Amino acid sequence: MEEALVRAVLFGTPILLAALGALLAERSGVVNLGVEGIMALSALAAFAAALGAGPWVGAVAGVGAGVLLSLFLGLFAITLRANPFVAGLAVAALGLGASGILGKRYEGVPLENPLPEVPLALLSLLLAFLLHLLLYRSRFGLYLRSVGENPKAADLFGVGVEGVRYLALGLGGGLIGLGGAYLSLAYRPSWTDGMTSGLGWVAIALVILAAWEPLRAVFGAYLFGLLFFLQFRLQGSVPIPSEAFAAMPYLLVILVLALSGRSRAPRALGQPFERGR
Amino acid sequence: MRKLVWLLALLLGMGLAQGEKLKACFIYVGPVGDAGWTYAHDVGRKKAEAALPWLETRYVESVPEAQALPVIDRFVKEGCQVIFATSFGYMEAVLEAAKKYPDVIFAHATGFKRAPNVATYMADFYQVYYLNGLAAGALTKTGKVGYVAAFPIPEVKRHINAFALGVRAVNPKAQVLVRWINAWYDPAKAREATEALLSQGADVFAFTEDTPTVIQTAAKKGAYSFGHYTPMLKFAPDHVVSGQIVHWDVIYIDFLKKVKEGVYTAKNLQNVDYFWLLQHKAVEMGADYGVPINPKHVPLLQKAKMRVAGKEVAVYDRIMALLKDMSSPKPTFDPFTGPIRDRKGVVRIPAGRKATLEELLTMEWAAPGVVGDWPGEPK
Repeated sequence: MEEALVRAVLFGTPILLAALGALLAERSGVVNLGVEGIMALSALAAFAAALGAGPWVGAVAGVGAGVLLSLFLGLFAITLRANPFVAGLAVAALGLGASGILGKRYEGVPLENPLPEVPLALLSLLLAFLLHLLLYRSRFGLYLRSVGENPKAADLFGVGVEGVRYLALGLGGGLIGLGGAYLSLAYRPSWTDGMTSGLGWVAIALVILAAWEPLRAVFGAYLFGLLFFLQFRLQGSVPIPSEAFAAMPYLLVILVLALSGRSRAPRALGQPFERGR
Repeated sequence: MRKLVWLLALLLGMGLAQGEKLKACFIYVGPVGDAGWTYAHDVGRKKAEAALPWLETRYVESVPEAQALPVIDRFVKEGCQVIFATSFGYMEAVLEAAKKYPDVIFAHATGFKRAPNVATYMADFYQVYYLNGLAAGALTKTGKVGYVAAFPIPEVKRHINAFALGVRAVNPKAQVLVRWINAWYDPAKAREATEALLSQGADVFAFTEDTPTVIQTAAKKGAYSFGHYTPMLKFAPDHVVSGQIVHWDVIYIDFLKKVKEGVYTAKNLQNVDYFWLLQHKAVEMGADYGVPINPKHVPLLQKAKMRVAGKEVAVYDRIMALLKDMSSPKPTFDPFTGPIRDRKGVVRIPAGRKATLEELLTMEWAAPGVVGDWPGEPK
């Protein structure tokens, strides 16, 4: 049982970080569907940097890559007012594709000095609390939420809507990048194409499941981690076929999504802001 | 200067006259950088090209099964004379294309359907798995060996069974705990399945998945493991004992040479099926190329004893003797030699005979000692 809780936390950590990143952007009204690609490219950047300059530099590189790719998404979704959903999917594809091509020479290369998982897991937990405080106890959080709920009103009160959105998207990208770095530097200290294996998409679903609350995201991420572990822990000892087990975490996510239908998204989510319209 | 130009022209002319390069083209299901299946095929392609001066190759990677036919069309248009299709899922497309292009030679990896211009080929690990099973049986202290398995298909079941037979030959009470991840490539699942097995007491690991995840995870807890498909020693130098390594180039070179010599034509491949093993050098037992057993673990395996035909021998000596035998042109030993019962007690291979190729390729039963879910297990 203790083992299961440890696994829940350690496997939940990259999902939590990515979900926190997406959540932060969404509270400001920007949808980030690029999470999977951002994680993948960050994982690669982190791994490449770690080989040359050590794992902690690698982690910073992962965060940096996450910020940059998210700001790139912002260019389309915020400044150019492109359809944010399409732009997000494009960034997801771009990140996955680019990491696959650029990462070829890192395939099959071991990482000598991986990062320890436990401190990173604790850090991500701390970040969830900090994000909660940021959203509800700081002036910036007030601006951020108001931009996500009613950008026109926020604009009238003198809040720079686009600036706040860029900041939220960029900071969120850093969290997603840290999630990617966790994968390639700690969880599985090596690089392979497609190593995010869908965790980014799970994180996006988790934001809705958590009703856009950082502390609920903690619970959701660990629940997913627990179920993921249990499917293998219980396989063979209960008469459920392994294929059904494999679907269980995802089925649960869908179920909770269906049940959490009442939770309300930020009102201006996915709407590009244009002054005077 | 002018002389040099003439010389170059002369060389070019000779090259053209000699010309007649054989063009072989490869369809890959994954990216060549996947470090697993497709990567290994591409290493084979490159080695064949390096070994055969008259060979010219091309490849297309990440071809979904539904896209195989258009890719073949393109290959034929570009003058490919031999086409290697390297995924089970291409089987129907290959047979269809073979009808459309009766003069092109096709070879399909892991398939079982042939035609006058379609051969099949496979480099198989079951002997190597048995040998690794012997080592695993000797190394486990808890009596629980973990196996993280991809899909419950005959190939994977054959490998797990061979492995389990090896484990039990050394340690008759040991268990092989199997966990299915239902994916060829999914490092997250491989990691958590390994963690689950570790928490259930497994202390030695083998697996079928295209990354070194199981090895890395096992090593963190000090558990031994066996690499898969490519050399994986570098990922955990103190914990990788041995592993299964493939050499597709051996098959590619042999096949292409026979095409070049006219032994294989587009009319006589109906019965050409490569099921190549240790004796053909298509596979290797090793933690790394040329390292059958990690030197760090040799003393442990020398100390461990097992009974063979009533006599006590060191597990290490047994492994090396069998490896030598099965690598020789005429092996006398085969892991699937009867009598073999499945884990329910049903006789699957009668005493005194070896499993037929057919029995190997359609294996669904589970060997004694295998513990866990086993989809498709016969009643």
